[in-house]
Formats: sequence, structure tokens, C-alpha cells
Amino acid sequence: MTNWLLGAFAFVGNRTVSGLQGMGRAWGLFLGATASIRNVDVWLPHLLPQMARVGVASVPIALFIATFTGIVMSLQASYTLTGAIPVYFVGTLVGKTMILELGPVLTALTLAGRVGANISAELGTMRVTEQVDALETLAYDPLAYLVVPRVFAAVFMFPIVVLLAIGIGIASGWFTALQLLDMSSPEFVKGLRLFFEPWDVWFAVIKSVSFGAVVTGVGCYFGLQTERGAEGVGRSATRTVVVASMLILCLDAFWATVLL
Amino acid sequence: MERRREALVGLVVMLGVAVGVVGTIWLQGGLRRDMRELRAASQNVGQLVAGAAVRFRGVSVGHVDAVNVAPDGEAVLVHLSVEPDLVLPADAAVLLAPESMFGDWQAEILSRADFELFSFLDYPEEGVLPAAALPDFSRLTATADQIARRLTTISERFEVAFTEETALNLKNAIDNIGAVSDGLSEIITQQAARFEDLSEGVNASAAELGAAARQARLSFERVDSIIANTQVEGMLGDAGATMSNLRELTESMNASLGDLRSAAQRADTTFARLDELLAAAESGDGSLGRLLGDPTLAEGATEAVQELRALLADIQENPRRYLSFSIF
Repeated sequence: MTNWLLGAFAFVGNRTVSGLQGMGRAWGLFLGATASIRNVDVWLPHLLPQMARVGVASVPIALFIATFTGIVMSLQASYTLTGAIPVYFVGTLVGKTMILELGPVLTALTLAGRVGANISAELGTMRVTEQVDALETLAYDPLAYLVVPRVFAAVFMFPIVVLLAIGIGIASGWFTALQLLDMSSPEFVKGLRLFFEPWDVWFAVIKSVSFGAVVTGVGCYFGLQTERGAEGVGRSATRTVVVASMLILCLDAFWATVLL
Repeated sequence: MERRREALVGLVVMLGVAVGVVGTIWLQGGLRRDMRELRAASQNVGQLVAGAAVRFRGVSVGHVDAVNVAPDGEAVLVHLSVEPDLVLPADAAVLLAPESMFGDWQAEILSRADFELFSFLDYPEEGVLPAAALPDFSRLTATADQIARRLTTISERFEVAFTEETALNLKNAIDNIGAVSDGLSEIITQQAARFEDLSEGVNASAAELGAAARQARLSFERVDSIIANTQVEGMLGDAGATMSNLRELTESMNASLGDLRSAAQRADTTFARLDELLAAAESGDGSLGRLLGDPTLAEGATEAVQELRALLADIQENPRRYLSFSIF
């Protein structure tokens, strides 16, 4: 009994200490990366390649998901909105949900798996193969070299990818409404414009920026914390996806509370 | 390779920005032309927000730019952008109303004369259109709910008050009212007939009065002509003589009336005496009474009269038998 209680307390204490250590390391990484922004000569040459990797390469998967999200939204809206509710509300539902929620969040979750895991695996491999140590030995700032361009690339490109996803999602929902729901374009556009406010787009952009920073920041953190070889790399990639997804949903609720 | 990557990134960024910017502008209703600015003032604006449609005769002619409270706090100013070539009615007003049942509102420009029932706010500033807002759906439902509650209360009270006995009494009261109504109807019918008769009499009287008035007018005309012919003095003299004759006649009539009064007193006395005699006769007292009451006497009297007539006839035929005339 005493051993069991001791073990329980030890488990809680260990998790608490490790959690605090992790938060401290994450805070240290954030402060270090912020400080490394001044090394523009180091991170700027790597920004464009990272934008291509994080943004351009993510466009196809983001658009694919947005396309089918728009189709499903349109079909489910027509299934739900029956009776006294006018059919043009399909356009309202598709537009509002794609701009405010599904476009940013689904794209961010997708990129958390694709970009976050990629960054974590890449940096983790560099860590376990001591390439990061080599950079430090060569007097390179590893944060300016590895972290800052990735985070900046995501912050710049996530909104672009999200805007494209929103546009494609609405277009696919519109196409579905015309072809499968016996709606006309004026009806769908009327519903689309009915409750539209420009602030909705800014809301999506703000969320996307924060999601990009979180996905790449978490990927960089777990990648640089990788230990114990290839197994550690896989574990870091998994943790990155899980933690980034959780933080994306938490941020989504946060922004909805703060901005709407 | 680097060049190609840059182009690819640039293309994606431009595409993303274009989707965001163009999409936002398009969803807002497209690029605006040079729109005409209008202002309208209302007590409240319901659920109207910036971006809501502005309609004129059912056609979308613009949008709501802004909605804000007037500086004096007594009204809400609605800023409208409408097509520059839109011709407004002379008495243009703005009606703020729900566009559908789902919370979207619109501003409709209309002629105030066509909607006099609405209380449009006349804002004391040049160029501000009067506006009025319809109650939104939630207020209507709240009012309907209030009415329903009151109806429920009334029905409950009615249910408590309206027992079977009350219903019976009410039925009897209705029957009584029916009977009273029939009686009133009959009375009214009779009164109407009487009124008709009365009106006919009045008409006849009016006709007679008219004739009399005409006759009087003729008489007055004659009087006027007589006066005009200066015969008044003679007539007045004749009238004076006539009056003195009348006075004498009146005095003699007074004397005659005194004689008549005394004659009447004597007649009263005579009639009183006659009543006594008749009463005595009826009671059989006296000779007359016995004569009237006893048939034997009457028959005897009849026979006596007959004998007397026979005697008189004999005297007329043979006077010497009964009369003797001698000088000495």
C-alpha cells in the first residue's frame, strides 16, 4: 500500500517536473527564436525554400480536402435545411462554415500532419545525427538557421493555403448545389452574401497565422528535443502531430471567444 | 531551379491573396460605382446592419453603409448608398423591415403617402429622410405570447364563472330579451302608425294654417286698403255706436239672466216638488198613486171618462134636457 502510494506520488511528481521542464524548454526555444530573428542573413536565404515546402507543396492536399468538405457541406446543408427554411441558406451555411471554421481548422490539422511531422522528423534526424551540434560547432545559430525560416514560412503561407482552400471549398459547394441540389446560382450567391462580413475573412487569416506558428513551432520543438535515434524521431513526429492538433483546436476556441 | 521555386511560391501567394481580396469584394456585392449618399432617421432600426440591401419598388438599388445613433441620442441615423441616377419620390421615406424570417433586414425607399399608418420620424435636419422600423419577428412573437397569456387568463376566468346554472340563467335572459324585443317591436310599429296619423294631421293643420295665413294676409290687405281710403273715422263712429248698443244689450242680457236665474230657482223648486209627487205616486200614496198602482181604479176612471164623454155628447145633442133658460 505504501509502495503503491509512493509510486503514485512519484508518477505525478515526475510528470509535473517533466511538464514544467518542457514548458521551460518551449519558452526558451520561443525566446531564442525570437532573439534569432535579428540574424536575417542566416534565415532569409532559407525562407523561400521553406515557403515552397510548407506552403506550395501543401496546396494540393489542402485543396483536395477543401473540395470534398465543400461538397459534403452542401449536401448536408440541403439535407438539414428543409421545410420552411429557404434553400438559399445552403449557400449561407457553406460560406460561413468554410470561412470561419472548416477552411482554417481542417487545413491546419492537415498541415499539422504533413508539415509538422515533416519538420519534426527532419530536425529530429538532424539532432540524433548530431548535425545540429555541428552547426553550433561551426558558430551557426541553429535556431536562426532551422527554426525561424520554417516558422516564418508557415506564418506567411498558412493563410495563403487557407484562403485557397476556402475558395475551392465554396466553389465545390456551389458546384454541388447546382448539379445535385437543383439550386440556381443566384440562389446560392444570395445565401452566400446574406450574412457575409469582411471580418470573417480576417478572422480566418488571423487563425491561420496562429495555426502556422503553432504547427511549425511544435514541430521544431519536438524535432530539436529528439533523443535515442530513429525511434526517437518517430516518437517526436507522433507527438508533434498530436500536440499540434490539440493546440490548433484550443486556439480555435480561443480565437472564437476573443474575436467573435 | 531557384527561379522556378520562386515563381511557384509567388504564384501561390498571388493566387491566395487574389482569392481572399476578390472573394471578399465579390461577396460584399462587388465594386461600388459612384453611389449617391442618403441619410434616414428612425426611432430604432431593428436588426438592420451595415451591408443590408436598399430596395426601391422591390429592386435592389444600393446598400446600407452605416448605422449609428444621432448626436442628440433621439434617433438612429442610417447612411445609405444608392444608385446615382435613382429618382426618388417627392415624399420619399425609408421603411426598415425584415427581408426574411431569419434576421436579415433591408431598407426600402417608398412614398410616405402610401404608408401613412407607419410613424415615420421627422428628423429636424435638412436632407434626412424620415424612416420607420417594423417590429421584428421576436417582438411580434413576444406580443403574440402576451396576447395568448391574456386569452388563457380570460378563458380560465370564463370557465370558473360559466357554470351550468349560469348557462341556464343566460338562456332564460336571452329568451326574455327576445320577448321584450318582440314587445318593443310591436310598440314601435304602433307608434309608427300613430306618428303617421299625427303627421297627416299636422300636414292638414299646416295646410289649414297656410290657408288661414293667406286669408289673414288678404284681410290685412283689405284693412290696408280701407285705411288708405280714409273711411276710418266713419267706421270708428259706427263702431262707437255699435259698442254703446252692445253695452245696452249686455245690460238687458244681465237683467234677463237675473230673471232666468230666479226662474231656474223656481224650476228647481217645482222639479223637487214634482220628484216628491212622483215618489209618492210610485209608492201608491194619494189618489194619483192609487190610480197608478191600482188597475181597478184606472179601469174605473176609464169607464167614468167614457160615461162623461157620453154625457157630454148627450148634452150637446139635447141641451134642453139639462139646461133651462128663463128671464124671469
